[in-house]
Amino acid sequence: MTASQTAQHGIFHGHVDAQKLGVTPKKGRLVPLRTRDEIRAATELLDAYVVEVPAVFASAVLNVIRIAIPNIRDVNIQHLRRVVHLSFLPEHLQQTFIASAQTWPSPEHPDGEARASDPNPTEIRYLLVSPASLIASQDLVAALAREPPFSIANIVPHVITIPVPALAPTSAEEAQQWSEKYWSISYKNTNPYGPHPSLLERNQAGIEPYAGTWLALAKVAGGQMSGRGIGANVGCAIVHKERKEHRVIAVAGDARWRGTGDSKPCREEPGNVMAHAAMRAIGMVARKRVRLEQSLDELTSDAAGQIACDVPLSPVENSFFSVDNLPSTGYLCLDLDIYLTHEPCVMCSMAILHSRFRRCVFENAVKATGGLMTSKESPSVENGLGYGIFWRPAELNWKFLAWHWENE
Amino acid sequence: MDEEERQYHENFMREAIKMAELALSSDETPVGCVFVKDGEIIGRGMNETNKTLNGTRHAEFVALIQILSKYPISILQSTDLYVTVEPCVMCASALRQYGIRAVYFGCWNDRFGGTGGVLNIHEDPSIDKPYPVHGGIFREEAINLLRRFYVQENSKAPEPHSKKTRELKLLESSV
Ligand SMILES: [Zn+2]
Ligand SMILES: [Zn+2]
Repeated sequence: MTASQTAQHGIFHGHVDAQKLGVTPKKGRLVPLRTRDEIRAATELLDAYVVEVPAVFASAVLNVIRIAIPNIRDVNIQHLRRVVHLSFLPEHLQQTFIASAQTWPSPEHPDGEARASDPNPTEIRYLLVSPASLIASQDLVAALAREPPFSIANIVPHVITIPVPALAPTSAEEAQQWSEKYWSISYKNTNPYGPHPSLLERNQAGIEPYAGTWLALAKVAGGQMSGRGIGANVGCAIVHKERKEHRVIAVAGDARWRGTGDSKPCREEPGNVMAHAAMRAIGMVARKRVRLEQSLDELTSDAAGQIACDVPLSPVENSFFSVDNLPSTGYLCLDLDIYLTHEPCVMCSMAILHSRFRRCVFENAVKATGGLMTSKESPSVENGLGYGIFWRPAELNWKFLAWHWENE
Repeated sequence: MDEEERQYHENFMREAIKMAELALSSDETPVGCVFVKDGEIIGRGMNETNKTLNGTRHAEFVALIQILSKYPISILQSTDLYVTVEPCVMCASALRQYGIRAVYFGCWNDRFGGTGGVLNIHEDPSIDKPYPVHGGIFREEAINLLRRFYVQENSKAPEPHSKKTRELKLLESSV
């Protein structure tokens, strides 16, 4: 291979030539992982009070509520529509309310005289009062009963308690589902519990056409190690993508059975844990960066490299390790993407986070050991560990986008 | 813990602190550790993320590399770790997978801690055997080393940073 060919290697402009890589791209699609907070938001309910009122009195009653429950300012229930027409409520609530409808006298308008724009005086609305935790039901009934329209119509407020989503929906579809199930929900195009939908969409569109190729390459890396009995059939590829340019920075397969020190390959569990594919690939990126920063001609293989296995051990690993295609201004794995044949374990997930990766895609979810997936189920080896390490900004000081690849 | 036992653990934590001091003098985040088998130190490590440009080269990994170049992996099942700062989530998981017997640490790591500081990787559901942890041994010394590191880095910084942002940056990047 000539010098100029070497320099070209691992860099693709526009079209990624899978044939040149010796792989057949996988066909499929990316499914964004749900964050732990999104799961929580999707499952956490709270009890809330609802009361029937004539439409013309809705805002007057909201005022009464604001005074009776001063704490209501401190709770975020903006995703719950406060004043709702019967037809916008879920089926089962419609039936409940129809069954318990109260007979309101044709009322005096609160301001004394009716206007043409006023709702029909006999129109009824259902008003979401507050979370039940803020006031006792009998106190609420008493507070409402003292004021119009209840006081003037001599009607006992009919307060019922229903479960509603405690947190805002994270997508329009979710808002729709909840509206059919719990209460009329409003959706603003934001996501306080995970990546913003438009950011996620943009990133997904940018990498989806190539993800199948990188996953195929990751599989080759895993196959070259397992084929020689020195690792599990697990691999990964680290890619830098900027606009139309793709650079394959490192690929690595698992080397846990390689043996350490003088020992021959050894299949005794757990093997050499630090030789998991992601750890090895991250180590190779670091070595390439050291080589670049210190202008070394070649890599000095040290004792650490033999144990951590962060030096190339197969032809495909070597072909990408040997070229200096790492953008020189970088830091750790900032701006890099990692594609894995399998969901990384907790150790590898946190290594990806420590290394400041930008995006992560994996093909096979691994319930017993994986560190990225989340679930409604309580954590277990069978249900999945539920750590969602990619997006826990309140606890861990970095976050990255993560997708599960679904084969066609 | 009786007096004799306490002294036994403090003795090894002092050795871990020496490694953290070495890290400090090499401009690495001052975290140090020793692995102990049958009362003997079989491996020593300090954080080497700056030297290696590898964000995963924590003190525990440096020591593990040293140990595995001499001993079989299975030795870890009868080995204890003494580390000045609580192992991070990554190291906590590595230790559990390797089958470490017990972990003793100095101060808690409330940014990345994997054995109580943030997550409980040592005892959560897992296919790997859980391990006991004991925190707070020479906690003040461990924190003081980190403080000295911030001051040292501050004095080198080309433009003044507030101590608070430095602390944050350190905890983000290195521990
Ligand atoms: Zn792993
Ligand atoms: Zn660590």
